[in-house]
Amino acid sequence: MTTNPTGSVAATKVAATEPIVQIKDLRKNYGGVIAVSSATLEIYPGEVIALSGENGAGKSTVGKILAGSVEPSSGEILLAGQPYQAKSVLDARKQGIAIAFQELSLVPGWTVAENLVLSDMPSFKGFAHSPAQRQAREMLESVGLTHIDPSAPVATLSLSDRQQVEIARALLSEPRVLILDEASSALLPSGVQWLFEQIGQLTKKGCAVVYVSHRLPELKVIADRCVVMRDGQTVGEFQRGKWQDNELISLMAGRSVEQSYPEKQPVSSDAEIVLDVKNLRSTGLNGFDLSVRAGEIVGIGGLAGQGQAEALRALYGAVPAKAESWMVSGRKVKKLAPTSAVKLGMSFVPEDRKRDGLALQFGVGENLLFPWVRWGGLGGKPFVRASGAPLSEVVAKLSVKSAGFGQPAGALSGGNQQKLVFGRWLNRARTVILLHDPTRGVDVRAKQELHQAIVELAQSGVGVVWLSTEVEELVHMCHRVAVMYEGKVTKILAAQELDSESVVTASIGIIKE
Amino acid sequence: MNRLLTPIRFSLSRMKAQGASAPTVAFVVFIASYVYINPNLLTPFQLQTSANLIAPLALAALAQLIVVISGGIDISIGATMSLVNVTFALAMVENSAGISLAMGLGIGALVGVVNGLLIAYGRLPAIAVTLSMFFIVGALTRELMDRPGGGVSLEFSQLVSGELVPFVPSAIVWLALIATGLWFVMHRTVLGRSIFAAGSSPDGLEATGISYRRTILFTYVLSGLIAAMAAIVLAGTTLTGDPRAGDAYLLNSIAAVALAGVSFAGGKGSILGTILAAATLALISSLLFFAGINSNWSFVISALIVIAVVSLPALAKNFATWREGRK
Repeated sequence: MTTNPTGSVAATKVAATEPIVQIKDLRKNYGGVIAVSSATLEIYPGEVIALSGENGAGKSTVGKILAGSVEPSSGEILLAGQPYQAKSVLDARKQGIAIAFQELSLVPGWTVAENLVLSDMPSFKGFAHSPAQRQAREMLESVGLTHIDPSAPVATLSLSDRQQVEIARALLSEPRVLILDEASSALLPSGVQWLFEQIGQLTKKGCAVVYVSHRLPELKVIADRCVVMRDGQTVGEFQRGKWQDNELISLMAGRSVEQSYPEKQPVSSDAEIVLDVKNLRSTGLNGFDLSVRAGEIVGIGGLAGQGQAEALRALYGAVPAKAESWMVSGRKVKKLAPTSAVKLGMSFVPEDRKRDGLALQFGVGENLLFPWVRWGGLGGKPFVRASGAPLSEVVAKLSVKSAGFGQPAGALSGGNQQKLVFGRWLNRARTVILLHDPTRGVDVRAKQELHQAIVELAQSGVGVVWLSTEVEELVHMCHRVAVMYEGKVTKILAAQELDSESVVTASIGIIKE
Repeated sequence: MNRLLTPIRFSLSRMKAQGASAPTVAFVVFIASYVYINPNLLTPFQLQTSANLIAPLALAALAQLIVVISGGIDISIGATMSLVNVTFALAMVENSAGISLAMGLGIGALVGVVNGLLIAYGRLPAIAVTLSMFFIVGALTRELMDRPGGGVSLEFSQLVSGELVPFVPSAIVWLALIATGLWFVMHRTVLGRSIFAAGSSPDGLEATGISYRRTILFTYVLSGLIAAMAAIVLAGTTLTGDPRAGDAYLLNSIAAVALAGVSFAGGKGSILGTILAAATLALISSLLFFAGINSNWSFVISALIVIAVVSLPALAKNFATWREGRK
């Protein structure tokens, strides 16, 4: 794509009304690192404006500056024509700009009611649980969330319920501008539906919604306008119905990119079975069956919280589990712990790369070597140097962008961190790899690179078990998809019957029965 | 009926979530064995002596508890107690009880303000700040008074450490009053809920619109006030000021909080559990005395009790998993 699509859009809207927010040359740097170099944006009442771009493009930072949680380094913001500055999230909310962050901004030790009610109260005011819970119940009902118990501590809620509470809190402040920062990333399809309904009601009242997201199909449905950011700059915008995904991705990446999945490679029916488990039982698992051949990619799908995560953890031995029969790499197994699992040729890419996958303070090299350290052996720099060439190969193959093996993993972008967690298993004589949503929160380019690497890994004869929350990914990447419900595999889809509709139907259909 | 039960069930589940069950069990077992070895505990004199041992430690532990809940730690707590103890005893020689009390509490709060400002607004680590304050406050105290002295009026002492009615020692009543007040602040005010949230998730607290830093500042002020109360109760039981009076309370306050099963990562902690834990620790020495065991062993016994009680929840969890696995 060569033409820059900026310009034509604003004109049609200006005729109708004045912008509620104007952002000019906004800039934010953290020391020498530039998060936003030059963002210019106008937001109109009653519209849904999508802010899109790769990881690290600066879209979340723009949202956070508006919401008062990040201070801009320079630039001008006008709110309804007046200069706007917010000292805190509360200050921004009082001025009419509310934000729903990604799932982590609720206080996990508080109940839902406390999270909803406490925010606007002065410090020394008394507080009692039961009135707060009544009030919270009414608040939740007013935004259509009757399934959430206001007396439940947030830590006990599922990720998607937490996300809904987070969004509800922003909705309830009746904002003039609502910022949704990757707010749908943890929502179930029904939750996304709910979110879109709420957005519809808000915009009818004249509230502007800034929708920061990676998920291109959602943008198409909800956004009136889509503004693309790249390297901290707003680089262009599209109007509803006037963009193709490929155009959008190319503008985000600054080069021509096709959204595509690598081609599936056939698996011969006599390929060796590398993982076979019958009637696996553990917390949240009630008789899980699975069989994976060498070179096969088997997806794990279903509604959130049906035991998918538990299944992966049990298969890796990270939680105690028992099975009727259990075979890994041709060896019978009675029970498993992660160390023995790795010895048998298993590998695991956990869900939360920052908490379970990486040592953030450690360098890129050491993070790639973690499963391969030996007691009494070398560690640190000497070990990394001794393992030099194969490491460089992995880094080159996955195109990990880092300042060298010594750079702390915590300083890398999300996509590159994920490549480290995955990359440590490459070229290591593995027979099975368990992937827990490896592309979640990763930008389009890194996602394609990971997809390619996973297919190549499978081709080299590794059996892949792939838990994904993205139906498209399951459909396009996997040979077979096991759909789970209540801790069991209830349906296995393969070949012709494997399409997005059948996966969704299988996930939901079971509930109706 | 159900309307009555729901809040009770809610409170019980919260109590369990705050980790009060293990120290409660430990305390009941401990007191039962204490009374078995020494039935005379239940005489007015021994109750009163025990109460005077328990109350200052329990208060010091509560001061430590709220700092730990907020995600920090207070090393200056013993030094603060010594300073308040000395100031109070000196002030009382010439002033009325009210003025002396105000001075004591004021000094406790002042130490809290300095701690809080440096930690919250100076963004310094709690352990470094409070350790430095421990040295500075300690030096100030010895400058004020280098050997035990001053004096506490008999009326005040009677009020604090005497007997309110037969079999009810005053010290326990004061402890109960202060603890109830603290419980109210921690569970029924926005400030208290914010202190829990500060230890649970600082970013989350900020996202609700409440200032994390101001919450931390108030945590240390509140903690300083309670440490001051501990020191004043201590002065009431010993009748004099002592520049070393608070020293023992630093480690014991941390031990009580640990025994109460409180996570030093912050966000959780039970007031009742901490008081019961402090009571257990305070009475170990005298139990050994009555049991005829060399008191040098009291630290070892304390240590064993702490380790045993702290491992209770983990053991219970393992047992639950084991039973689950057998099903």
